[in-house]
Amino acid sequence: MDLDPENTAGKERATETATTPLAAASKEVAIPAQVTSEPRTDRDSLVASILEDVARLLPEQAPLSFFVHHNTLHAFEDLPFQDAVIRASDVLGTQPFQTEQAFADHLCSGRIREDDVRAVLAPHDEVDGDAEVVPGGPTLAEFRFRRLTTLFEIPRGAGLRWLVDEDDVRHRCHPLVSDARRAAIRHQAALIFELHGGSGQDAPEVPGAIRTAGRWGRSRRADRGEAAAGRPTDKARLLGEVWGTLERQRPPAPAGPAPARRRDQILRLWGVDTDEFVHPVLIRVCSAFLDQGVAYWRMPEREEGLLGVFRRLFGLPSGRTEPVWRGLDAVLREQAAQEWTAARTVVWALGALQLPESAWPAAIRANLLSLRGWAGMVRQFEIRPDRVPVRPPPARLVDFLAVQLLLTVFATRYVLAHHAGPGAEPADLGPLGPVSPPVPASSGGPAASVAAPVARTSAAHPSDPSIDSDPSIDSDTSIDSALVYEAFVLAQVMDVDLGLLTEDRWASAWLRAVADVDDRRRGWLLHQAYERRYRMGVLDALHTHSQNSAKPAQSDEPRADFHAVFCMDEREESLRRHLEEHCPTARTYGAAGFFGVAMAYQGLDDPRPRGLCPVTTIPRHLVVERAVDDIEHAAYRRAMRRYGHVGHVLSTARGTLGRGAALTAIAGLASTVPLVGRCLFPRTAEHWARHVHHRVAPRPRTRLVLERTDDVDHLDSDPMALATPGESDAASGARVPGVGSAPLKVGYTVAEMTDVVEAMLTNIGLADPVPAAAADAMMAGATTAGQADSGAEQLILIVGHGSSSLNNPHEAAHDCGATGGGQGGPNARAFASMANHPRVRDGLARRGIRLDSTVWFIGAYHNTCDESIDYFDTDLVPNRFRSALDGLRAAMDVARRLDAQERCRRFESAPLDIDADQALAHVQEHARDIGQPRPEYGHATNAVCVIGRRSRTRGLYLDRRAFLVSYDPTTDPDGQVLTRLLLSAGPVGAGINLEYYFSVVDPVGYGSGTKLPHNITALVGVMNGHASDLRTGLPWQMVEIHEPMRLLVIAEARPEVLSRVLRDNPALDRLASGGWIQLAAWDPKEPDIHLYVDGAFRPHHPDDRTLPVVTRSAEFYAGRREHLGCATVLGTPPTTSADESTATR
Amino acid sequence: MITVLLLAMVVLPAAGVAAQALALWFGCRRSERATVMIVALVFGAVAIAAVTLALTLLVTGRDMIDVQVGPWFATSDHAWRWHLVADRLCVPFALCAAALIGLIGALSSRYLHREPGFYRFYLLLTLFGTGVELVVLAGSLTVVFVGWELVGMASALLIAYFHDRQGPVRHGLRAFLTYRACDVGLLAGTALLADAAGSVDLSGPPAPPAPRAGWTSVLGWTGWAQVPVPGSTVSATIVALLLLLGVVGKSALVPVSGWLPRAMEGPTPSSAIFYGAISVHLGPYLLLRAHALLDAAPAARVLVVLLGLASALHATLVGRVQSDIKNALAYASMTQVGLIVAEIGLGLYPLAIVHILGHAAMRSAQILRSPSLLHDRHHLEQAMGRTLPHTGRHLERFVPVRWRLPLYRYGFEHGYLDVWLRRLRDPIAGLLRAIDHTQRRVADRLGGTRSDTTLEVTGMGQTAGTTAVSLPAARREI
Repeated sequence: MDLDPENTAGKERATETATTPLAAASKEVAIPAQVTSEPRTDRDSLVASILEDVARLLPEQAPLSFFVHHNTLHAFEDLPFQDAVIRASDVLGTQPFQTEQAFADHLCSGRIREDDVRAVLAPHDEVDGDAEVVPGGPTLAEFRFRRLTTLFEIPRGAGLRWLVDEDDVRHRCHPLVSDARRAAIRHQAALIFELHGGSGQDAPEVPGAIRTAGRWGRSRRADRGEAAAGRPTDKARLLGEVWGTLERQRPPAPAGPAPARRRDQILRLWGVDTDEFVHPVLIRVCSAFLDQGVAYWRMPEREEGLLGVFRRLFGLPSGRTEPVWRGLDAVLREQAAQEWTAARTVVWALGALQLPESAWPAAIRANLLSLRGWAGMVRQFEIRPDRVPVRPPPARLVDFLAVQLLLTVFATRYVLAHHAGPGAEPADLGPLGPVSPPVPASSGGPAASVAAPVARTSAAHPSDPSIDSDPSIDSDTSIDSALVYEAFVLAQVMDVDLGLLTEDRWASAWLRAVADVDDRRRGWLLHQAYERRYRMGVLDALHTHSQNSAKPAQSDEPRADFHAVFCMDEREESLRRHLEEHCPTARTYGAAGFFGVAMAYQGLDDPRPRGLCPVTTIPRHLVVERAVDDIEHAAYRRAMRRYGHVGHVLSTARGTLGRGAALTAIAGLASTVPLVGRCLFPRTAEHWARHVHHRVAPRPRTRLVLERTDDVDHLDSDPMALATPGESDAASGARVPGVGSAPLKVGYTVAEMTDVVEAMLTNIGLADPVPAAAADAMMAGATTAGQADSGAEQLILIVGHGSSSLNNPHEAAHDCGATGGGQGGPNARAFASMANHPRVRDGLARRGIRLDSTVWFIGAYHNTCDESIDYFDTDLVPNRFRSALDGLRAAMDVARRLDAQERCRRFESAPLDIDADQALAHVQEHARDIGQPRPEYGHATNAVCVIGRRSRTRGLYLDRRAFLVSYDPTTDPDGQVLTRLLLSAGPVGAGINLEYYFSVVDPVGYGSGTKLPHNITALVGVMNGHASDLRTGLPWQMVEIHEPMRLLVIAEARPEVLSRVLRDNPALDRLASGGWIQLAAWDPKEPDIHLYVDGAFRPHHPDDRTLPVVTRSAEFYAGRREHLGCATVLGTPPTTSADESTATR
Repeated sequence: MITVLLLAMVVLPAAGVAAQALALWFGCRRSERATVMIVALVFGAVAIAAVTLALTLLVTGRDMIDVQVGPWFATSDHAWRWHLVADRLCVPFALCAAALIGLIGALSSRYLHREPGFYRFYLLLTLFGTGVELVVLAGSLTVVFVGWELVGMASALLIAYFHDRQGPVRHGLRAFLTYRACDVGLLAGTALLADAAGSVDLSGPPAPPAPRAGWTSVLGWTGWAQVPVPGSTVSATIVALLLLLGVVGKSALVPVSGWLPRAMEGPTPSSAIFYGAISVHLGPYLLLRAHALLDAAPAARVLVVLLGLASALHATLVGRVQSDIKNALAYASMTQVGLIVAEIGLGLYPLAIVHILGHAAMRSAQILRSPSLLHDRHHLEQAMGRTLPHTGRHLERFVPVRWRLPLYRYGFEHGYLDVWLRRLRDPIAGLLRAIDHTQRRVADRLGGTRSDTTLEVTGMGQTAGTTAVSLPAARREI
């Protein structure tokens, strides 16, 4: 093969092959293996810089077990939202907004109201709304409004051609046209053609019949017949002329997307997709290379990197490969012998494809994006090896590109040789890039040499399926006939003089107006209207609610029985609400679910620690769970290990010959028992499985190793050895998943713990109120310890959350985002232990936070899928708190049942009148069923984030759609706490919200489609069925009920404070000003709300001050599956009938 | 009574198909619940009928129950009848199939809930069940063929369940083509057998050749009805080889095994039932029915053993390399089916039966569990207290270094089987084209007109199939 001779001179040392396995496992893996000390050629560095650029566009999804929600369009975050989605849809070929059909349904169902559309259009209409589109016709404002509220299908391509040629749409009214308007058109036509004004002479159309026909293709008979008979009606004639004029005035077709790769040109010419040769091989190579333990026999020599192992594997001399790859082995061997770097190979391949340097960026981008899931995963392995589940092979994106291009070169040559004759060169396909005309006929000589063989081959093989591509498609007129069609239908629908539209001048004006509100602009405007409807509902409700609840709430608050701190997660909203309803004296708080304890954690069963903190934070502390009793622990480990060995043997016997045979033949029938159980009685089956498990291996009591007595730093060098003496795992090295190889300290010093507890209590506004809000007696008790009256004992429950489910590769996506996709139980437990620590309390007291002996913290873990709640370290709770603890557990027990009931209303599998106990069983079944693709709906429907005092939102039904972050503006005059909260809650909430947004608006392009054919590959991702690109984003079953809207963040702060916070924090400003979130300021004293629009806070004027009032949430949601608005929930039966808003739904 | 039971085992699923198909035809989307209820009732009833039949066979000690429904079609000297049989071989299979389909039906009501193709899935599942029961209970090879084709069709349509993507449709087509090509064997074998042996109806179990004692009699237990055996060894061998061709296609034996991993495109439950449990085991079942034929054709028996072992070796090697769970399971399935076929070739019939039933249950359970792989894996790691040990060490120990990469490459490339098949494709396609050409020329000469419509139709079909036609009507169909 022709290795580019000019490059062989500048031979380089292959630096990447120097990466030995040892080096790969060492601590500095975060640095790409490419050592830059060697001089690199310009072209190599060009490739490197292009790659850096393109890599940002790749999906940033980590391996599935470290799934963390993030903005799907992170690469476009510098742009404003509306520009970013459009830009991304150009680059990635995805949908920016919901489909027009969806918007049409929203308009129909009242989800978008006319006043929303008008409000959204108002700023546009202020500019030029009064101008008339055509004389006597609608004004621009009217035109836009009608356009947005009149949504109809615009067929394109062959569909439109068919309608025009076969169905004669040019002479008939669209079914959307009202009877009155039809009459008006007839009248206009009659006037123009100077016939009888009565216009009743033509075959009377039966509009009703036409409309009920549904598909309007069917109702052609009357008009068509007459048109064919040569005596068209006036109306038909007029319509025909309008069509003709519009057609004449049609603007030139926009240039189609320019081919960026040879593949595009080949596809266009012959209908052969070279990717279909390249991708299957590339997918298999990547999957085997990245594999974390699915394959029984893992890929040998992975240490050599993706390109290295590919060279070894495909460089084997073999006469049996597919004809496409003939000669590849020789090239690979030669490149390996000359120790080419990956960049060098890339340069060679681009040269072999005869691409000029100017076309490289587009070509590399298009190549990587064509298999972006795998490319992205390779990239993730490269830059975040710590998030790899087991053992990261030395993956590099440039290797991926090199392999891809190598394969592409051969596929291209093969197709060229096959279709264009043996002498054809890639360059004969014509130049690439936007400058070149897409049709090769115009580019003269070289292309003609290809075009001629095309004709030859097509003649020779008439049945060859590859010639069926229609080269006329792109140059076809039908593409923007769509615009003509759109303008034509709109002219019929709107009140415009059709006679005018037969004049070129007005026809073109009309076309301009129509083109101005194109589908993307419509999408953006309707999207805003869609968001506005919900926003108005929530802001009005907050306004009204705070007005209503402000007066009684402040002064005579009853003393709290207990406090409960939850994650800000919107799934906890309902649990909190139910807890408060059931237990009016309880007080709840919301905070980021790691509770300030940013740690690496290793549970009793965990083979290695993992980070439990937001992804943006790097933990510095390691917390380990230890058994209290070593003997118990040893017994437990023994039992578990036995269990594990059996499981492992069973799972590895899967594909083996002898063991597999023995197993299936001897024990195969026994597996009918679990099979029947799992299929028919999923809950009972799982229950028994767990029961047996607990019997065999009872889990010992444990404690967290939390406190570090001294600051000895020599321990820091090897935290792993200390954490797990004798069990240090060679495979994971010193790398802590989710942490990287940063040095870890074991545990926290008292001072550090004090900091954590103080920061957290201050953030959520619990610092002062603990004693104060709990009435004066508490305060007295605090100062004079021991005087606290009996019953003054207060428990503070810290609830972390996570989720556990079967049949759910995306299980980690349901876990707590604030712990980096981990389960927040250990954080809650650690925080509670810290806050109970006597020396920490002393330290807190010195800093002005008094936690006396009447206060006890308890950590708990809430499983949001099966609604179970585990309490930690209850054996440490002092006796005097026992009764309080029992009361708390009983209250939580009721709350979780009600929470399950509220969740069940979303599951179609649950009856609407399900009671709370059945509901609990139902959600448990969802969690434990191998046939259940919807274990829970996760964050679906999240829409709003309220940062403020719970007292102001307490009693407001928010339908599990609100992130609730506790924040007390009265103790934070300068907005420092608010800044902290916004900086943590803003990006996390926006990340979750935007990932859901994109997975809904384009379930295939951004999301991972339906779960049903998902196939877990390499333990890092899912493919569709046998082989496909790695599917990133969320599966449809997770997001199907989500309403795609940007998060509405409402912070309880004066607009001035919030403005200052934005000014000081560019990251927040980018989110808010760029429109990635909607931001509102809620006045701490007044009910007024200001919305942040175009860089300024504008007051919100409520238009609906009524709010349904119910005594319990259950009354409001009972019997309803759909999204619900807000409501006031009184909690207890109303004692005072002083509520001014007694509106009902 | 017994007759009714036996008939019901075939008629009930067929009625289920008819009910669902009619309802769908008239656009009546009943509730999901009603559909599931129909399927569960049908296969529940079939399972009960199978149990009753089994008890009857045990109690009465009869060898087989035989039902002849009536003529299907007849030639001057031969009548083809609808003929069903229940004996000790088919009753466990019928029961196993009905129970598994019923279970999958129950599971899928949750799995496919709210899926646009929900009703289609259940229709195809019931159709598949009808086919399986027909194959299993068939009393003659012609009936086997009918069921065989139904199974193939349902299988291909379910692989192409997600027909909005290219891969599933392509792979469904691949499976369908493989089936069609190999079913020629079954059809031709049936026809030849009718000629050579005078009948294709199953006959009662052959008398045990000699009263053997002890475990050998258990190992060689063969008390079930058999395909008739032609007199001469040559025709027996030819018939056996033709039937084997059908088996090779249906059970994905070497060399046409490539369709099986590609069949993992449908929803997980359908993959479990078809390629883990039932569909792939129909081949061995047919061989069990025809073991007397194998006795008469030693060459065919040797080939059965060789094919089985080759499939098992090939599949276990390729399967070990697969790095995604469904492909790994597909090859695992192929390994065991290969072994089962080899067992049948070796005459270990009872072992093969136990192996089939055990494998069906275990593999479908594994495939159903495959989406929980990450979850299970995590728990296994926790139980072991460490990263799971690295498997495949003995491969690395025993295989010499210089063989390792080529062997891995062999597995990685799926044994190059597809390349071989593709090489075969061109000459075969050329041959077919030549036949077609000749046929048309002859037809032209006889008819006197140029009938080149075929070409045009093909061309039209191609363009219509590939260009992005966006008919509003076409898009609405799901």
